[in-house]
Amino acid sequence: MTPRRVAVTGIGLVTPLGTTAPATFAALLEGRSGVRLHAPPDAPGALAVPAGVCDGFDAAATLGRVKAATLDRYSQLGVVAGLEAWRDAGLAEAPQEDREDWGVAWGTGVGGVLTYERSYRDLYIAGRERLAPLTVVQAMNNACAGYLAIALGLGGACSTYSVACASSAIAIGDAFRRIRAGTSPVVLAGGSEAPLAYGVIRAWLALQILAPGDAQSAPLACKPFQRERAGLVLAEGGAALVLEDWSRAQARGARIYAELAGVGESCDHANLVRPSVAGQARAIRAALADARLTPAELDYVNAHATGTRDGDTVEIAALRSALGARAAAVAVSATKSALGHPLGAAGALEAALTALALHHDAIPPTLGEATQLDPECAGVAHVAGRALRGARPRAALSNSFAFGGSNAVLALRTRA
Amino acid sequence: MLDTAPAFRFVEERLGIDVRTADAATELESLGVDSLSLLELVFEIEEQFGVRLDERTAPPRNCGELAALIERLAAARA
Repeated sequence: MTPRRVAVTGIGLVTPLGTTAPATFAALLEGRSGVRLHAPPDAPGALAVPAGVCDGFDAAATLGRVKAATLDRYSQLGVVAGLEAWRDAGLAEAPQEDREDWGVAWGTGVGGVLTYERSYRDLYIAGRERLAPLTVVQAMNNACAGYLAIALGLGGACSTYSVACASSAIAIGDAFRRIRAGTSPVVLAGGSEAPLAYGVIRAWLALQILAPGDAQSAPLACKPFQRERAGLVLAEGGAALVLEDWSRAQARGARIYAELAGVGESCDHANLVRPSVAGQARAIRAALADARLTPAELDYVNAHATGTRDGDTVEIAALRSALGARAAAVAVSATKSALGHPLGAAGALEAALTALALHHDAIPPTLGEATQLDPECAGVAHVAGRALRGARPRAALSNSFAFGGSNAVLALRTRA
Repeated sequence: MLDTAPAFRFVEERLGIDVRTADAATELESLGVDSLSLLELVFEIEEQFGVRLDERTAPPRNCGELAALIERLAAARA
C-alpha cells in the first residue's frame, strides 16, 4: 500500500518582516531585513543588540485585549500565526465532529521566559510576595498549543517539543508521522518564540555567539556564509503550517502549497554546541530517503545557517557530504540573514518559507553581497543578494540543527 | 476612599466597555471574560488598590458586580 501523502494547505507567519505570511514572504523576496538594534525594556543597565523584533504585531487586535492579557508573548505570536494558517487553509467552517481527531504539534525553545523574567523581577527586585494568578499557565511551554486546540476545537493529540533550535522542525516531523500513520488527517504544526528578555540576551552574550552591531549596521549584522560573519541574531516570531492528508486536501479542493514528503532526524552525539558534519549529513540523507528523493531531484536548501563561524562551514560540508556532486547545483539560502534566529520557531518559519518558495517559484536570498561569500562556504549554488525566480525548483530541504546535537531536516516537493 | 477612575479606565480598556454605564446585567462572559481572564482581571485591580479580596468573595459575573467590586476594593483601602 502506498503511504499517505502530506499536503501543506495553510501557512501563517508573524515575523520581524511582517504580521502575515504574504507580507513576510514579499519583504523577504525584496531583500529587506527585519533586524534592528533592540534595547530590552526594563533592563537594569544599558544594553542594545541587533535583534529581529515583530514591531508591527498587535495581539489584542486579533485576540481581543481580554484574551491577549492571559497569554505570554510567545503564545500570542504563535496563536495569531496559527489562526492565520487555519483561515488560509479554508478550514474555518469545518464541522466540529470532524475535528475530534485533528491535532496540534508545536515547538518552542524558551517558551514563557518573558513571564518568568517578569515574575522574578517582581519577587527578587520589587520584593513582592504575590505573583499574577496566571503565571503558571502563561509560562508553560505547551500554553500556545493548548490555546490553539481550544480556539479551533481540535480533539486529537496536542504536543509541544522543546529541542532548542530544532523544536518546531521536530514538531512538524511528528505531525507528518501522525498523518502518514492515519492517526490524524489534519494537524496544525508550528512554533513560536519570544526570547528577547534581558536575561536571555545576557545569557547568549555570555556564550559569545551573538553578532555585534550598532543602529546602522544592525539590519545586516547576521551574515551567513560571509567571510565577515560574527554570530547569530536573536529574533521573535510565530510560524504555523496546516498539514493535511493529501487525498483529503484534494477531495475538498484545497490549495496545496507543497508536499511535505519526508523527515530525517539524527543526533551528533558529540558536543552540546559544536555541530558535526557526520551528524547533520545523516539527517539530510535520512530526509531524502524518507521522501524517496535522490540528490539529483533536489534544487533548493533553506539552510539552518545562523551566521556563526563554525556552524555555517559545517552545514555546507554536510550538504556536500550528503549530496555529493549534486551539491554544486543546489540553490542554498539563509533566511536568518533577514529574519534573525527565532530559536524554537525557526524550523517552522523556514519550512513555511520553503513551501512558499516552491509554490511561488521564488527562492528568497541570503542578504549581503555575493562577493563577500567565504570560500570555506563554497561548493553550493548560493542565492545571495537577490531572490532567484523562475528556477522551477522541484524539491527542497529545510535544515534545523540544534544545540544538544539534535538535527531535523524536512523534505518538501513541489505539488505534482 | 481611593480614586476609582484609573481602575475603571483599565477595565474599559480591557473589555471595551465602561462597566459603570453599561447594563449592569451584561454577563462578563459575553465580553470574552472566561474564568482565567477573570482571575487576571481581578488581580490587576487588586494590585492597583494594594488590597486583596477575601478568598470567600464570589467572583463578579456581570458588569454591575464588577463595578461594585471596584468601589468596594477602593473603600477597603481608604
